[in-house]
Parts: sequence; structure tokens; C-alpha cells
Amino acid sequence: MNNQLRVLRAQRRWSQADLAQHVGVSRQTINAIETGKYDPSLPLAFAIARTFESQIEEIFQPAGSPSTGEVPTNREDTW
Amino acid sequence: MMNDLFTPRDAVNVRRFNLWMIVTALFFAAGTIVLGEGFIPRVPVAWLFPFVGAVLGFGALRAYVHFLRNADELLRKIHLDALALGFGSGVIFMPVYRLCERLGAPKLDSVDPIIIFVLAWAIGQWRGFRRYSAVEAQ
Repeated sequence: MNNQLRVLRAQRRWSQADLAQHVGVSRQTINAIETGKYDPSLPLAFAIARTFESQIEEIFQPAGSPSTGEVPTNREDTW
Repeated sequence: MMNDLFTPRDAVNVRRFNLWMIVTALFFAAGTIVLGEGFIPRVPVAWLFPFVGAVLGFGALRAYVHFLRNADELLRKIHLDALALGFGSGVIFMPVYRLCERLGAPKLDSVDPIIIFVLAWAIGQWRGFRRYSAVEAQ
């Protein structure tokens, strides 16, 4: 999953810790989402979208091409 | 103030769990020594030791479940992955070592697989924290 978290954060001059505090998670979670290591749950994605006053799909986009309907592989399945 | 790994709520919950675990472990260690050395005769009152140990153990279990249910979602994922690794390692270890015993390896105590579980659980947590570590600048 791709996301615009870093850009949106930069626009507001927020640190990862600031965003983490706004949505009630750890800084490690925000960092893992930004770096694409972790995909947030739906409630957290909604909370982030609400914080940035955006729609979820404006912040998060699937890694696979939407036009082909390709299902993105889950990178977290590796050991 | 947010910690890198724990939200303030997680920090409180994990401290509570650790406290339960320490008290439970100390009680079991003391109970093993006291009952093993015969400081207390094997009278009905001695059965209070395993009973209190079980109560403390369930207290620790309850604290851990509470911590997991309320944990930051990435922290919960790391812990669930680690639990799966610990459980799986324990399940694999038991029959494998049973075969080793038949080949002459020393017999294990019945609680020894717990050590494998706890070790694998700890390694799983370490791997998880490393995998999702916040290495980038804030």
C-alpha cells in the first residue's frame, strides 16, 4: 500500500510523534506505515484521514494497479 | 509524552503485566524451594501453594490479555506474531525431543518446553521490534 502520510505531515510541519499523538498510536506505528512496512487497520486509516480532513483513498492507495484489478502481494508474509 | 514503542496506556498495561509476572515467578520459585526442602510438611494447608500460584498465574494472564486487547495495533501484531512463534516452537520441540530421548538424549523435565516457548516468544518480539523499528528521523 502506498500512502501520502509523509507529505501531509510535512505540510502541517508535524513530526511522526505529533501525528502519533493525534491518532493515539505509537511513533513506531506511524513510521512503519510511512515506510510501507505495515498497513494500518481500517479504524486507524479512518482516524488518520479524519486528522488530515481527507478521504482515505486520498491518503492510501493500493500498491497494485487499480485498473487491472491486480491483488497486491502481502510483503509481511515473509519470514 | 509518547514513547517510540508504547503509547502511555500501553506502558501502564505492560508495567502491570510485568509486575504480575514477577510476583508469580517469585512465588513459584519460593514455593518450589519451600515444598521441595520440606520446610512445610505435606499437610492440607500446603495445597494452598499451588492454589495461590494458579490464582497469581491467572492474574498475570488476565493482565496480558488486557494489555493485548488495548495495545497499539502494531504492538499487538508484534506480540501475536511472537506468540505464534513461541507456541509453534514449543509444539515442534516436544515430539522432536521425544525422538532425541529415544536416541539417548537426556530426559527433560515436563516444564522444560515452557523455556523453549518463552525463549521463542522473546526472540519473536525482538524480531518484530527490529522489523518495524523506527529508524527514520522524527
